Order: sequence, then structure tokens, then C-alpha cells
Amino acid sequence: MKGALVTPVIVMVVVYLLLKFVVPNIPGSAPLPFSVIILYMMLTLSGIGMFYTLSKDSKDAFWGPMERFLTGENIGGMQALRWGLLILFPLLVGWQTYSSTAVSDQPPGENRTIHPAPPGEYAGLSNPVAKTPDAIQQGKGFYAAYCSPCHGGNFDGKGPAARGFNPPPANFADPTTIAMLQESYLFWRIKKGGVGLPIEGMPWKSAMPRWEVELPDEWIWKIIMGEYDGAHQSPRTWE
Amino acid sequence: MKRGLNQILPSAIASVGLILGCLIVQPVFAEEKTPASAPPESASESNAVSASLVKGSLPTDDPTAAVWNTAAQARFPMSPQVHWPNRILDATVKDLNVRALHDGTNVSILLEYADPTEDADDAAAVEFMVGDKKAHFAHGQPMAQVEGGPVNIWFWRNKDAKGVDMNAMGFGTLKIQEHQDVQAKGVYSNGTWKVVFTRPLLTGHLEEDTQIEMGGFINIAFAVWDGKKDVSGGIKEKGSQKAVSSWWNFRAEAPPNYTGYYYAAIAVGLAFGFQFFLIRNLKKGHRA
Repeated sequence: MKGALVTPVIVMVVVYLLLKFVVPNIPGSAPLPFSVIILYMMLTLSGIGMFYTLSKDSKDAFWGPMERFLTGENIGGMQALRWGLLILFPLLVGWQTYSSTAVSDQPPGENRTIHPAPPGEYAGLSNPVAKTPDAIQQGKGFYAAYCSPCHGGNFDGKGPAARGFNPPPANFADPTTIAMLQESYLFWRIKKGGVGLPIEGMPWKSAMPRWEVELPDEWIWKIIMGEYDGAHQSPRTWE
Repeated sequence: MKRGLNQILPSAIASVGLILGCLIVQPVFAEEKTPASAPPESASESNAVSASLVKGSLPTDDPTAAVWNTAAQARFPMSPQVHWPNRILDATVKDLNVRALHDGTNVSILLEYADPTEDADDAAAVEFMVGDKKAHFAHGQPMAQVEGGPVNIWFWRNKDAKGVDMNAMGFGTLKIQEHQDVQAKGVYSNGTWKVVFTRPLLTGHLEEDTQIEMGGFINIAFAVWDGKKDVSGGIKEKGSQKAVSSWWNFRAEAPPNYTGYYYAAIAVGLAFGFQFFLIRNLKKGHRA
């Protein structure tokens, strides 16, 4: 009779090992989050339950040992384990209840989108300033005067005025910032500043100035050229 | 022999499995959410101020009282105000230490920072959002795509020797309130300012004042001015030229709450009861 319980246990272990160690190594796959593994394990368990309750014989063979264990009849040395489980299970439920009702000491989480979608009128704008060495040089000069206090002389987001700001100023040398964006996106962000962000960008936290009130558009386009050149990045294009 | 078992056990085990599954999956999902606001750069920097609940009276007039040591110290980096003109590219104060206490009725917030000289125009301020609307940390200035709300600013200046309760909703809109609920006291010693602001947690002025409900997190930001006079007699930092912080979190600790223990005790009782009836019915099934 005990054999009826050995097979489900082996199935569960094999499925777990597959999910944990084999699936992540399939080309194009990635390690599964723990929650997904748990979900698959629950599905496997339901499947096993359904399989063993299909016929009366298999059901008896499957539930019989469990029933004997729970009622404690003729289980000999397993009595201690039975009492241990009967005490441990309610305690586990109590602990789970306590930890799910406990008030967190941590501030509420914030999911801030770093590069939210720009308003439609900015999509596809191209830089009207010819990309000449002079224009790039001029852009770098404007960058040094207006942008480098926060974004840094090395374009790394570590300017002397940056330390107090959360979110921190963008690091243009990081390949996940301006290298992933089009020039039109930078034009929008520089022109409208932090307060121009949509709600998912949390505009109330950004210290980025709204440069449209201080700088002409032409300077902003030159600053964009200077930024890409200085940070050794290229704008993203559709090609 | 298996009648009792066949009727009860499959559904019972399925229920227990589902409950355990939910209990396990739910916290796991919670863990995988993005962590709370950007982690501070170093361990010595904080993202929240927690006001401890004290039994006795608050040290509203004494920034040096020993009871302040019972409050956890939060430390925030400061930046020169570069967001809008007139800017400043280097401010005197680089870091701000903050502690807070409350007694269930009033809250006291202590700012502590290094300033090499004591000057009449030295000043400090605490800023909050008002109501449910988000407000930009720079004086609640309008946002293009989000309808913002006002900010509530508590201001102290050395030469005034008092707290001023103000509101703003955009640059040039700073206004002193009709209801003055804030008191403040500053003490300068050994190159350090200690300034304590005190106000009732709740004021009833919902449109002007931040309301501090115990246990809930609200936003808080800080500003500091070095009022030192330069050789020409001008003041180094005044108006928009100041050291500022970003929005951080503030919470007045709630009184101890034991409901979690009650719920846990009920859950333990239910689980024992479930086991008891399950096993009793199984044994009945055996005898049947």
C-alpha cells in the first residue's frame, strides 16, 4: 500500500528538479521565479489528486495510508511524527495569519516608470540642427553650463548638485539611458522637464528643470548632440 | 471502511492545499514587487522619518533634550536648488539629520545640520503635501499631465525665533496662513543648528495643512538656508537659493496594536478544530 504514496512524491520531486534546473538551461529560457514554480507544483499536485481519485481502487490505495496516519491507527513508530504534524500545522497557520496582518515598517512601494511614453507631438521629431563639429562643440558648452551640475562633467549623472535628488539625474554613459532613446525623446524631456512627465513617471519627484522657459529650442537640439557625443552613445533610430 | 474517508478527505485535502498554496504564493508575489522607493546610496542614508510615540510631554522648546535620543535618526542628502531660477550651484548644507517624536496629539520634528556660522538669516523649512493630490517638491508647481495639489511649508528663521505655517501651489504663490499652528525653536552650538518644529497631528484645516494620521506614511521634504552675509553685505542663501531635499517618507508611529495576535490565535484555534473534526469523522468512518 505504501507504494501508492511513493510515486506521487517521486513525481513532485522530478517536476521540481525539472522546473528549477532543466527549464532555465533550455536555450532562450530563463530561471523561473519562485512563485511560478509554486504555481506549477500546485497544478502537478492537483493532477496527482485527480489521477488517484479516478477509480475506487486507486483512491483507496492513495488515501488509505494517509487516513491511517491521520487517525493514528496501527502506525507504530510514526506516532511521534503524527503528533508533531498535528501541532505544527495549526502553528504554521497562526504564524502565516500573523505575518499577513502585521503592519509593515516599510514605506509603500513605488513603481516609477523611468522612460514613460512622450506625448504624441514629439514622436518622430528629428534634430533640425546640422550635425557639424561646431554645433556639437556649442552643445557641449551649453551642457557644461546648464546640465553638468547634476548630470556631471563626465555625463555619468554624478554632478556636484546631484546628491540630494531622488530619483537621481540620468547617467548618459549608461547604455540603458539615452542610447535606447531617440533624439525627439530627449528634446521632450529637456524642454518640459520633470513636471512634464505623465503620472507613471512621478513628476512630483523630479528635479529636472523645464528648460523651455530658459533656453531656445535650437540650444536644446545642440545640447542633445553634445550629450550623445560626450557620452559616446548614439541615438536610437528606427532602422 | 473507506466511506468516511472518501467523502471527506479529498475535498479536505484539496481545501488545505489551496489555503496553503494561497498563503505561500501571496507573500512570494509580494516579495517580487519592485522594492520601495529608490534605495539610499549608502547605509547611512534613509528614506523615511519615523516619529516615536512618547508618554510624557514633547520637548517642543528644547532641541537638545535627552528624550530626542530615543527617536531614530534619519539622514538625508541635500542638493543646491538648481530646479528653477534663481539657482544656486553650491549650498552650505550637504546633509540633514532628522528625528521626530509625537504624543498622540502633537508632533515635534528636529532638524540637525552643520553650518559653520550662526547668522540672523539662517533658516530651515519642512514641506508636506496637502490632501490626496500629489504636489511637486518645488513649491507644488503645476505639472503638465497630473493635477497637483498645494504644499504646506513650516518655516523657521533665526531672527524671527518662531514657526510660520505657509502654503504654496506654484512659484510666487507662497502665502502665510490665517491659522498659525506651527511653533519652532532653534539652538546653535558648536557649528550645528538644531531646530525643532511642533504642530498638532491633526488641525482640522484640511485645505491648508497636512493631516498626520498615526501609522500612515506621508511625504516630507526639507530646505535649509545659510544666511551668512558676504563681503558686499548680500545674503549667501535666500529665497529660491537654498539647499533642498527630494520627497521622502514620514510616519507617526501608531500605538501598539495587538490585533495580529488575536487573528493568529483565532487561526490556530480554527486549524486545531479542523484537525479534530477531520480525524473524528475519519475514525467514525472506520467504525461504520
